[in-house]
Amino acid sequence: MNAFLARNRLIVLAYAGMVVLLLVTALFSPGFLSVSNMRSTVVLAAFVGIVALGQTFVIIGGGIDLSVPWVLNSAAIIMALLCGGQDLPLVWVMPMLLAGGAFIGLINGIGVAQFGVPPIIMTLATNVILQGLILVLTGGSPTPSAPALIQFLSVGRVGGFPVIALIWLALTLVATLLLSKAAFGRHLYALGTSATVAEFSGVPTARTTILTYVISGLTAAFAGMLLTGYSGQAYLGMGDAYLFTSIAAVAIGGASILGGSGHYLGTVAGAMVLTILTGLLPALNLSSGALLIVYGAVILLTVSIGSETFAGLGGRFRRKEG
Amino acid sequence: MSASERPLEMAQKPAEMKPAKPGIDWRGRLLDRAPFLVACLMLALIVGIYGSLQSGVFTLDEINLDTAAAMTLMLAATGQTIVLLRGGIDLSIGGMISLGTVIAATRFTDDPSTVALWTLVILTLGFLIGALNGLLISLLKLQPFLVTLATWSILNGVAMIILPTDGGSIPGWWVGFASAQFVGLTSPVWMLLALLLFWWWFRATGVGLTIQATGSNEKSAFLSGVSITRVNLVTYGLSGLFAAGAALFLVTQTGAGSPTIGKDYILPSVAAAVIGGVSLFGGRGHLAGTLIGAFVLTLIGNLVFVLHVSSYWQPVASGVILLLSVLASSVAEKAARNRVQ
Amino acid sequence: MDLVTVNGLSKRYGGIVALSEATFSARAGEVHALLGENGAGKSTFIQILSGAVQHDGGSILVDGQDYRPAHPDAAQARGIAAVFQELSLIPDLSVEQNIWFRHEPRTLLRTVNRGEMRRKTLALLEKYNFPTLRPDQELRRLTLAERQIVEIAKGLAKDPRILILDEATSALPAREAEWLLKLTRQLAAEGRLVIFISHRMAEVRAIADRLTIFRNGGTVAAHDANAVSDNEIVTQMIGRHLDRLYPERIATATDRIALRTKNFSSGSRLSGVDFALREGEVLGVGGLQGHGQRELFQSLFGATRASGTIELWGKPTSIGNPRQALTGKDGIALVPEDRRGQGLLLTKSVRENLTLSVIKRFTENGLLSRQKEAALVQEMVDFLRIKAGTPEQLAGTLSGGNQQKVIFGKMLLTQARVLLLYDPTRGVDVGTKGEIFQLMRDLAAKGYAILFHSSDMPELVHVADRVLVMRNGRIAATLEGDHISEEEILRAAMLETRAA
Repeated sequence: MNAFLARNRLIVLAYAGMVVLLLVTALFSPGFLSVSNMRSTVVLAAFVGIVALGQTFVIIGGGIDLSVPWVLNSAAIIMALLCGGQDLPLVWVMPMLLAGGAFIGLINGIGVAQFGVPPIIMTLATNVILQGLILVLTGGSPTPSAPALIQFLSVGRVGGFPVIALIWLALTLVATLLLSKAAFGRHLYALGTSATVAEFSGVPTARTTILTYVISGLTAAFAGMLLTGYSGQAYLGMGDAYLFTSIAAVAIGGASILGGSGHYLGTVAGAMVLTILTGLLPALNLSSGALLIVYGAVILLTVSIGSETFAGLGGRFRRKEG
Repeated sequence: MSASERPLEMAQKPAEMKPAKPGIDWRGRLLDRAPFLVACLMLALIVGIYGSLQSGVFTLDEINLDTAAAMTLMLAATGQTIVLLRGGIDLSIGGMISLGTVIAATRFTDDPSTVALWTLVILTLGFLIGALNGLLISLLKLQPFLVTLATWSILNGVAMIILPTDGGSIPGWWVGFASAQFVGLTSPVWMLLALLLFWWWFRATGVGLTIQATGSNEKSAFLSGVSITRVNLVTYGLSGLFAAGAALFLVTQTGAGSPTIGKDYILPSVAAAVIGGVSLFGGRGHLAGTLIGAFVLTLIGNLVFVLHVSSYWQPVASGVILLLSVLASSVAEKAARNRVQ
Repeated sequence: MDLVTVNGLSKRYGGIVALSEATFSARAGEVHALLGENGAGKSTFIQILSGAVQHDGGSILVDGQDYRPAHPDAAQARGIAAVFQELSLIPDLSVEQNIWFRHEPRTLLRTVNRGEMRRKTLALLEKYNFPTLRPDQELRRLTLAERQIVEIAKGLAKDPRILILDEATSALPAREAEWLLKLTRQLAAEGRLVIFISHRMAEVRAIADRLTIFRNGGTVAAHDANAVSDNEIVTQMIGRHLDRLYPERIATATDRIALRTKNFSSGSRLSGVDFALREGEVLGVGGLQGHGQRELFQSLFGATRASGTIELWGKPTSIGNPRQALTGKDGIALVPEDRRGQGLLLTKSVRENLTLSVIKRFTENGLLSRQKEAALVQEMVDFLRIKAGTPEQLAGTLSGGNQQKVIFGKMLLTQARVLLLYDPTRGVDVGTKGEIFQLMRDLAAKGYAILFHSSDMPELVHVADRVLVMRNGRIAATLEGDHISEEEILRAAMLETRAA
């Protein structure tokens, strides 16, 4: 148990931070812990959490995905255009767009793994290219409303639980299995720790890298469709905020931006922390500017703890030896 | 050409060192500068197409106009270039630019001495905030990406508190500065020349060399007596300073402050540098390349305009150009590496 | 009077003692050799002298005055310069920019005076009769040997009173090594102190006036060079007699060919290598550094692209990457050259490192079985006597010898029976070295086929059944039986080509 805590200290800390935040918020705004408010908090966090799922995999593998905003936005817009408010086309539109997201991820992954393009540049380029293509496609004007079925997935409930929360839970289980219980996870952590050592150990480094970007494309596209359901329509720029929040959620969740460490369970806490903060500030009568300041401070705080923790961990092992 | 096709060229090396060949290794130099040359080629191509479709492109007026359009990005990208040479990245310039514009838009008056005072305040603030980034990176041993992501958010927040939406006002004479002419050239063109002069000084005095060396190999630089903390302070301080300068120029173009406008310059500043041949891994690159990269990104807009296609093609084109230039430099790098091995 | 006097010098890294109570004294105008096994504390000692790290206890006197440099600059200010084994050069600067880095001649405007810099560079290179270097060439275009020479020039450019040379000859070809030895005598004659670290006894014999021997972080002895025998030095360095280090060599090779290459080539460094490695054999690969040994090992393992044919256990195989090399019972496994950069995930546990190449072995229905994994890990920890608190201990916190054992365990778990060992004893303590050699013979007896490179020639002589000597990317000679000696290896590596 102690070993578990030592290994996952940052993740445990992220959850501890989340609980403290919840309590503090409840202190200032007594209604915050109500069932309905918690429900809406979880729904909002789910969007961040789903986008950040792919980002977590990419970052653990030592990369970064800046193409998230417009993969998300493209999926949202194209879905709304193709469905025109009808449910039936979703049957083929949804799989097609998920495949599309995966395809963008594939291109990112191939650029990074096969051509050696730095991840920042590769994903930045696909992001602006997608942005331009979608602007050309729509002529810059908003698109029709979202189909009812997708709205159900985003805001509907099953037995009192928001559907999207259940989806998020399922995705969390899958991600945890992949990271902790599958060969892929071992390969991924090895790759992010040292690509050379991984290669010399027989890890399929190129395939693993590409897969992380594919997963990121998938989750961004999926989140885009769900978000359209939530807001009732697709609009230009709806993905922009998710670049920052997806990376922030991963960082707050205890992953190192250099790769090789972290877990999606931490990112889940990170997504919750970011969303609770959004709810805390109106309670304190603070502006959205203040929210950004708090976001920045929280990121600085968590990464500082992370760097100290690592040093502390090393010290503990040395003491054991001596 | 792959390494295996070049038999035995270097095979004798370890047994006995061949004396160095006299003369200049032209092919090596060419390969070294390949990314920069590709950027020049792109610029020439864009200007060529632009010039053949539009009259009056090759005039002083056009140069004055285009330089003004590119100057904000150039200033931001100059700071970014210094950080990239150090092997880091600075996302916080987005926050600094926003903050600079809202301070200017809320504090500048028609009184030149007030403007002078606040200009000084903005530039000092830029340097200090940048230096703070450098300090956090050094002392807490944190990653530049996350530190500057955090400070970007914080600065953006402060800007939004000062001025929640676009607005404020910029005195007309300050706006007029961007089109003021001295000896036939507008002030942006003079600024461009000043940037190049700065770069020459920066390199020639050893400040730039030390930063570049630290980005090339931090441990070697340390063993040679470089103080890494001081290098980080200066590097990120300069980046903040140039971001503040970019904000002061930007308000001459927009005539107002904006708490969100800075984010439009973060990644383009990196893109301009990369298109110009600056390495993301530190140690390699030159401001001239960055400035050309900034021109390329700016002139794509003009090109899209004269080609009579939707302006929405502009981001597509810049993305493709970015990818092409990165691929070109990675091919050149491989060729150069094969020569050494 | 002594120029440098060191008393009770101590340095700890966390709980690891790197130096304890070391003493040292040296005079101006002498070449003073510093000897010791890897890990004896030599490099910590010179890092302290050069200001790269600071000592915890003890005192250093230079010219009778207290010396405690907080920074490499402070060391330079007192006239101490170091030529580091890892080199302190900047890849993206030119040769002359590197030589004068941070000490460039300036103009009145404080800008670098390029003309003066070129003039001073040429003067320096001429004064000490340097092998030809092009001052304007970028450093990353140079070979390792050329870089080593630039590092030496950089040290001399500071006109130091004390110059530390840390294994400066190890990367140099014979003629340049010879030049460096002459140079050290010239510097001593100029009244400077040269502290010379080398593992080559002949070099130490040729130039040193006095020598100090380190072991386990402390000083064992200091001698006048001509008052002590080689044997005494070696005994003092390793603390026991050499003969117990190497296991008895029992021929276990069968007639079955495990690995055969034909016309095996890679780039310009490896051209047309043909050899056969038999089951149960330890086949040594020797020669001077940089003659294709690294390329041979990396190409066989699929880490570097190569042409030609490879047969494994009689079957032609193509190996495009390490993953293919490691797969199956007919695979090839490698103990790589760079333990920390290629072999181990330092921030991951012993368990994760051991099983990284064999995740399939404990995967059931796509899920990992921690129980099965634990069994594999325990098997290797017991078999190799890896000293770790628990399998969860981070690999980076183990001693060098135990790290190397983890890499061996990782390789043995793959079930590959052709093993490539590239300098497996580098940076490993003497005790573990002995264990590794014994392990190699045991594995050979079990039918493994082992290709073994060592930068330390006596290891090849005492452990290998046969030795391939490489020169210019080819096999210059194959030595067998009584012909395996340091002298024969050197002769084949440097002089004549013999029929293989």
